[in-house]
Amino acid sequence: MGPLNGVTIAIVLFGIGLLGLILRRDLVVKLLALGLVNSAVILCLVALGARPDGAPPILAPPSVDAIVDPLPHAIVLSAIVINFAILALALVFVMLLVERYHTTDANRIDRASNDEEDEWS
Amino acid sequence: MELILLPLTRFLFGGLSIATGKASRLFAVLALAVDGILLGRLAAALAADAPVELVLGGWSRGFGIAFTGDRIGLTFAALVWGLGVAVLLYTWKDTLRPYFFMLLHLLIGTSYALTMTGDLFNAYVILELLTLASFLLVGYERRPAQIWASLRYLILCSLGMSLFLLGIAVVYYHTGRLDLVGVAAHVASDPAAPWIRLAAALLTTGVAVKAGVFLFSLWLPAAHARAVPAVSALLSGVVIKMGVIELFRLSAIFPLEVTFTVLGFATGFLGIVYAIQTRDAKRLLAFSTLAQIGYLLIGFGAGSEAARLGALDYAVAHGLFKALLFLAVGEAARLVGGSDLRTLILHRDKIPRTTRAALIVGVLGIVGMPPFAGFAAKAVLESCLHPTTFHAAVALISVGTVVTFAKLIPLLRGRSSGPIDPARTAAYGWLGGGIVLFIPVSAAMVPQSLLAATWGWGAYVEAAAVILVGLGLHRLVRRRPFRLPDRIFRIEEATLVILAGFFLVFWLVHLGWRASCG
Amino acid sequence: MRRTHLLLPVIAVLLVAGFCVTVLVGFEFRGTIEHATAGWIEVAERTGAINVVTAIYLNARLFDTILEVLVFAVAVLGVHFYLTTRGRPERVESIPESNVIRIAADVLLPLILLVAIYVVVHGHLSPGGGFSGGVIAGTGLLLTAIAVGTETVAARFGPRLIERLEWAALLGILVLGLVPVLVGRTPLSDLLPPGEPGRIASGGSLLLYNGLIGLKVLIGSWVIVRHFVEHRGEI
Repeated sequence: MGPLNGVTIAIVLFGIGLLGLILRRDLVVKLLALGLVNSAVILCLVALGARPDGAPPILAPPSVDAIVDPLPHAIVLSAIVINFAILALALVFVMLLVERYHTTDANRIDRASNDEEDEWS
Repeated sequence: MELILLPLTRFLFGGLSIATGKASRLFAVLALAVDGILLGRLAAALAADAPVELVLGGWSRGFGIAFTGDRIGLTFAALVWGLGVAVLLYTWKDTLRPYFFMLLHLLIGTSYALTMTGDLFNAYVILELLTLASFLLVGYERRPAQIWASLRYLILCSLGMSLFLLGIAVVYYHTGRLDLVGVAAHVASDPAAPWIRLAAALLTTGVAVKAGVFLFSLWLPAAHARAVPAVSALLSGVVIKMGVIELFRLSAIFPLEVTFTVLGFATGFLGIVYAIQTRDAKRLLAFSTLAQIGYLLIGFGAGSEAARLGALDYAVAHGLFKALLFLAVGEAARLVGGSDLRTLILHRDKIPRTTRAALIVGVLGIVGMPPFAGFAAKAVLESCLHPTTFHAAVALISVGTVVTFAKLIPLLRGRSSGPIDPARTAAYGWLGGGIVLFIPVSAAMVPQSLLAATWGWGAYVEAAAVILVGLGLHRLVRRRPFRLPDRIFRIEEATLVILAGFFLVFWLVHLGWRASCG
Repeated sequence: MRRTHLLLPVIAVLLVAGFCVTVLVGFEFRGTIEHATAGWIEVAERTGAINVVTAIYLNARLFDTILEVLVFAVAVLGVHFYLTTRGRPERVESIPESNVIRIAADVLLPLILLVAIYVVVHGHLSPGGGFSGGVIAGTGLLLTAIAVGTETVAARFGPRLIERLEWAALLGILVLGLVPVLVGRTPLSDLLPPGEPGRIASGGSLLLYNGLIGLKVLIGSWVIVRHFVEHRGEI
């Protein structure tokens, strides 16, 4: 029953994040939603390796046999750093856009930049 | 050993480039030279026809990261190397910071690594690093339009990669392995399990966002069109191909033929339709990239090993001529002062002769004029497509390509008096040479038996027919411009389309499984 | 007009709900699956580390970690490039300080740095490692910056030194990965002996990697935080 609870919560969070990404217009909120989506996948990975009576993956004497699966933890480490990098750079870009267009509304920025480039005319 | 040395030395040069802050060009040249040597040694090792296997660090499979060097990977690595040389030549005289070169080294190094990796999670990290490097390169000039295009690129690719990671979670939960060989063994032992279809759908949707499949890569036209020409060339020539390679590796594990066929048809036709109606030269090239990915997917979907090799051959050819076109159009746009087709045609006398020659070679390549690259690769691909519907679809897309590029014909007429830049000319010469000499070059990847198709007269007749029909249709279409929905390129709609695409892929994978098992 | 406004959210909710249900149903839960845990334990024993996760990401899957360090480096590079080439805003208000924060920061900074060093050095013995330790130290610097201002803290180090150290750490990691080639082994393999598990001097080159990564993450996170504070823009 262990992984099921964790994964269910993770997928529900993933869904909430997706909804936030689609339905909210503010760019900063979109980035938060993206962060939620990424964190949900991380939760899912960690929950998958869990065991009901699991011990942390350290080879200290009493609990060597019941350690949880250590590979998802190693995977998650990389995933966390990658998500951090994406969030930091995306925030910098949002700041540059806000300075230029004076709004955080994705639709307005889209229209303004299309008008600038005069593409679909 | 060369397998892992290629990316590592590249990263080392990148680090040195930015650490010392000067002599970036020198490091870039050194890096290309070292890569060339390593690629040569790898080619020699592969001459015996057996793939080179390596598990990093000397661990056993299933615990270490598995790398596989095969001919396909080597050919794509050579393409990456070739485009690296071209971009270095093209930008020889531009002032670029060491930051640009570091990103370039990262892009090339990660591409090398992706051509050879045989591990799912390693592919994930590589694709994320590739996304970050290319996203920063798109926004290099800091123009607001570029920044917005690259932000959309980042958000959609991050979403795609989350789906990919979710797919990895499913795969690991059920097989305990992350390497492609191990996963393939588990899938083969129990093909009816439902988790396989879910994992295949998640992994494929995730990679499709990067690979230029139409429904999923709605970030592509804006990002490719608004970037600096050298970066656009790399994006279309290298980064997209990395997604395609990963799709290829996935297709070896999961039953994805039906999926690829349907996606290929959709991408090909939708790309052509959008390409025909656009009025901006760079957007035209970007949509055309989407359409050409349609060819590749149809080739993968045909199922036979020969068709897949033909598709990969075409991928290499496309990398060459699309990069050449982006570089040439980019220079032309810079000299004329805009990339709008009307502006370009109006001021076409400012385009130098060498750029025009490059445009001619590129266009001839992409429309399939014999004996250039496009013709050769298309002949190989078409000779392996046995169901006539596939063959007809590819032919139709080719006609559409001719119609699209016929729009560039007015650019090539009249006098030309622009300044000739030797650095850019060298780049054009390098790529043009690759296009012209494609048949001998592709013999490394495609066996002789398939190449013989390029000399059959059927292929020549078909190529000529395609070009003539295309030119005729172009006259027709010119009179009647039409509008297409462009709301789907906004970020909300793009996300919804990716979600809907996931369901489409899932249903197609299910159909494919039913077709092969039930 | 009302109806088209609702169209997008309704489609979105339906698609997202469908996605969640599909994934949950297709996952096929069977409780905990016993996989390769025994194999990973063996990996850890061969490496000589007690922390199995560290043995994995710094030895068996070292290449992933190198790529991840590069991801972090790219993030720092990007933030630095975009924010420093913008030109500084005319007025940079400093964060209002209070005596409580200043005194607390005085006391806490050495403790934080000590904890960070502990986490990094014991990365192969208990949960932690280069990444966590670097972030802890970076946060400590942030605390001090809140107390006395980013300019003061930055002036302490000298800009050149920080950059050089950061790139030296990255190059160090890459060179450490390539050194086995000189001795005739494959790159990214472990040269140093495993040692006795449980002691700091064990686990082969895990300690070295953790140290270099910790240094890189410390400097990188400080640079990112500092740029975000100093170059905050206005709508």
